[in-house]
Amino acid sequence: MSEPLPEACAVCPAHNVANLVKLGVDMDDWDYVVALAGNPNTGKSTVFNALTGLRQHTGNWPGKTVARAEGGFSIGEDRFKLVDLPGTYSLLSSSYDEEIARDFIVFGQPDVTVIVVDASRLERNLNLALQVLEITDRAVVCLNLMDEAKRHGLDVDHRRLARDLGVPVVPCSARYGQGLEELNQAISDVASGRTVCRPRRVGGRSKLLERAVGALAEEISSRYPSLPNAQWVALRLLDGDERLAAAVRSDELALLQAPEQDGARPPTAGASDGENVADPASILTLASTQRWMVGADFHQALVETVYTEAARLADRAVSRDGEKARFDFESTLDRLVTSRVFGFPLMLAMLTAVFWLTIAGANVPSAMLADLLIESGHPMLKGFATAVGLPWWLDGLLIDGMYLATAWVISVMLPPMAIFFPLFTLLEDFGYLPRVAFNLDRLFSRSGAHGKQALTMAMGFGCNAAGIIAARIIESPRERLIAIITNNFALCNGRWPTQILIASIFVGSLAPPYLAGLVSALAVVSIAVLGIFLTFLVSWLLSRTVLRGEVSTFTLELPPYRPPRVLRTLYTSLMDRTLFVLWRAVVFALPAGAVIWLISNIEIGNQSLAARLVDGLDPLGALIGLSGVILLAYIVAIPANEIVVPTILMLTVMVTRLSGVGEGISEGAGVMFELDSMEATGELFRSAGWTLLMGVNLMLFSLVHNPCSTTIYTIWKETRSAKWTGVASLLPVAMGMVLCFLVAQVWRLFTG
Amino acid sequence: MTQPLTALFIFAIVSVVAVLLFRPQKGWIVRLVAALRVTERVQVEDSLKHLYDCESHRTTCTLQSLSGALGRSGDRTAQLVDRLQQLGLSEPTESGFGLTAAGRREALRVIRSHRLWERYLAEETGVEASEWHRQADQREHTLSADETESLALRMGQPRYDPHGDPIPTASGEIVLPTGKALTEIAAGEASEIVHIEDEPEAIFSQLMVEGLYPGMRVRMIENTPRIVRFEAAAEEHALAPVLAGNVTVAPLAEDTQVADMHAHLSSLSPGDEATVAGLSPRCRGQERRRLLDLGVVPGTRIVAEMRSPSGDPTAYRIRGAVIALRSEQADLVDIESLGAEEGP
Repeated sequence: MSEPLPEACAVCPAHNVANLVKLGVDMDDWDYVVALAGNPNTGKSTVFNALTGLRQHTGNWPGKTVARAEGGFSIGEDRFKLVDLPGTYSLLSSSYDEEIARDFIVFGQPDVTVIVVDASRLERNLNLALQVLEITDRAVVCLNLMDEAKRHGLDVDHRRLARDLGVPVVPCSARYGQGLEELNQAISDVASGRTVCRPRRVGGRSKLLERAVGALAEEISSRYPSLPNAQWVALRLLDGDERLAAAVRSDELALLQAPEQDGARPPTAGASDGENVADPASILTLASTQRWMVGADFHQALVETVYTEAARLADRAVSRDGEKARFDFESTLDRLVTSRVFGFPLMLAMLTAVFWLTIAGANVPSAMLADLLIESGHPMLKGFATAVGLPWWLDGLLIDGMYLATAWVISVMLPPMAIFFPLFTLLEDFGYLPRVAFNLDRLFSRSGAHGKQALTMAMGFGCNAAGIIAARIIESPRERLIAIITNNFALCNGRWPTQILIASIFVGSLAPPYLAGLVSALAVVSIAVLGIFLTFLVSWLLSRTVLRGEVSTFTLELPPYRPPRVLRTLYTSLMDRTLFVLWRAVVFALPAGAVIWLISNIEIGNQSLAARLVDGLDPLGALIGLSGVILLAYIVAIPANEIVVPTILMLTVMVTRLSGVGEGISEGAGVMFELDSMEATGELFRSAGWTLLMGVNLMLFSLVHNPCSTTIYTIWKETRSAKWTGVASLLPVAMGMVLCFLVAQVWRLFTG
Repeated sequence: MTQPLTALFIFAIVSVVAVLLFRPQKGWIVRLVAALRVTERVQVEDSLKHLYDCESHRTTCTLQSLSGALGRSGDRTAQLVDRLQQLGLSEPTESGFGLTAAGRREALRVIRSHRLWERYLAEETGVEASEWHRQADQREHTLSADETESLALRMGQPRYDPHGDPIPTASGEIVLPTGKALTEIAAGEASEIVHIEDEPEAIFSQLMVEGLYPGMRVRMIENTPRIVRFEAAAEEHALAPVLAGNVTVAPLAEDTQVADMHAHLSSLSPGDEATVAGLSPRCRGQERRRLLDLGVVPGTRIVAEMRSPSGDPTAYRIRGAVIALRSEQADLVDIESLGAEEGP
């Protein structure tokens, strides 16, 4: 850059790179920053993806711990960075999501803020739009969901709305790709300064209030002459907004001023020409004295004025000639899915169908994957290693340990998740899942939880890590923590195979052969039901003990039904959920495989480390009706429940030194395997001294033990709290130990 | 291997001990910590609060009343009174003893911390109303002056605590409470609750169960020495005079329409329609801001759409969106003009 372009910058709006970098936005490759704001359920993510061309994948949960989604696109020569803000109803209150969104618009000063607005619910959405326009004057309103408005018989006059709001208004249906070109054009025009916005500022305040705001804004303007939104800052200070008070105190607001033509004015007060320039302290003092004048209902009055204005503007812009009370189909459907008679059966049928499709559909691909990766892949790799001449320990560590563990996790985990998550996401996309939460909320509220926990639980039956991420949909902090901590009690897909195997071997064999299948199925189902019961019990206990006093607010929006987009859903759910969770699992399975191989092959004295550990754990195992082998397997297989059974088998063979089992692959210690038939596995367990009690306790412990390390890591990512991660990990282990102990002792008491 | 019976027996003992130790509120550990907390500072501050109480109720504070308030023996209370006088916080009066100027300042400082903390609990946490007073009673002794001020700053220098008591300012000024006891109101008179006494706890929690709160409008129906019956929030309440005496009310201005003794949103059945009159003062903090954000502001038209098959929550159409609220939330919304929804 040899030549500065002063002319060009006279028109280009204040572009505040330093502030953006401070907010964590990487600005190296971009000319402009565009922020995307909007209410929840307005298709904000759809607009985001439509603009960026799917370069970013977003779930549609608003969430506080999520990094903002960012993506990029270009219009002509200019490269735009798009930042997706959390969906919020307003910017006035101080929920965490709203703070993130608000702070980005205030302190990041994006070049353009695109406000996504639901055309069919204009009044509610304009409330947020008006608040954004108070802060920034470089905005574009994206009037989304025009198709839905039309279906409802609403006619929205976007030209009138644009005149009223003073910013470009672009009607579109992002879902069908309509109106996006116009949106791009409007963004580019506002960013480059070709379109100058004159946004409407909300009026209609009382005289008293106007006076207070005016006086304060004057002080603020004297300190920060080119601050674009002094009125708004004054309002926030009057409302007791601590974040802005801090920005005044630290003079951070000085950084937000538009650059002056004759070079930036130094922000220090002394530099002005000795006029009456307010210092931060006097601004804050004035604010706090005025606060006493404006009264206690100030906040409410503020919200009221904005809503009144929004209603007025919406009324002018929307003609409701053909309006239907509520889309007939929707009302009927809602009445059906929440009816006393059909509500619950319908829900059960739907969920059963999802689970059945998952279990039935996953069998074949799972077997194929196992065949490919384990049956043929493993020997092939071994052969290759021998051919290359790898030392035995490296070959063992890499192939028998790390490769095999990972292969196992992938083949057991991938197929069911690739079926379950898309199905679930389809229901979510359609809008059915919030109705499930609505139906079940009573049940959850009794134990201090949120109805949406029904969904995170259902998700947990697929994968606990995914269930915990899904808990982002619960905005209330207390209920969200409860959902996260108890998700482990939803029997995840990695544990179903263990349950089925053990139930068939030990429980099913008690019944006559023609009933065996049914009995073992019942045993597995009762374990799952016990899990649900424990979820409620632990939720109840948590909300009455450690989580007492955490803030709790219940809101549940029932969004309009929308036709699900099957392909999109398949794509995003595969990307966001399936692959994401799988990736994490693989990352954790690799070292676990190494550890399993190492403890089996490192010898101390004349015994392997594993054998010694098993010996050490045996007394504890016996006390709680398990065994040292099982406990050790649960310790080393903490990364994934999928490899627990193979590890148990491997350790059992190693410890008991049975010959003739697992021929072909069990030459080396530390090689996990599974036997071809259930009978053979049962045979092996029995000859190793397993009893019915051990089988039952293994099923119990498989339900009630620490979450796998993927899940623990996810809990940490989501809560950012060592305390809650600790509680969520240790509480179930302790409960499992106590439960197994009690069962074992009572069992022995009665069977002698 | 251990005998099952022995193992179970040991387990039972361990669990019982664990419960005794860790039980919330009554566990040994909690009690031990509480006992350790009763330092001289705590006693001095509690006595100052009692003296201030006497002063504002214009009663005389004696050794007996103080030892009763602190739950300590007479001897030790006498020592404490000596200590207070040494510190220059208290001085003898004709019939008992009272506060010096320094003592009053100190008492107001403690009261400020107490009420600010109650306010904090009410606005920014989910701690139940019956817990506010007890927790503030502990925190008032541990909050430093700086912490108190930054708390006040963060909450925007609030003026009243959640029971309706004025919070003294940092410089020690306090608005004197006005109003009279609910038992002094004649039948037919309308007034507004301005204060609910939070001590003793038993009475306070009964008043909470009754659903009374500062800012609630009441109209007296019958006031006898046996029972106090009044109407509030479109419901009739009956209290024993001993309970009603702990409720302070202020008369409403002559022209106030007591007709806006509103029904609650929760009384709507699916299909009914109403207009929001306002949010109850009991609706605080995050909950209040969230409801306002959703558009539950005075004048908003709300239609009850459907009820969950399990009976709760109920979904309402609010400014275009269908939003489910639990009945205890809908209780916090006052409504006007009931009626069935008219066809479009």
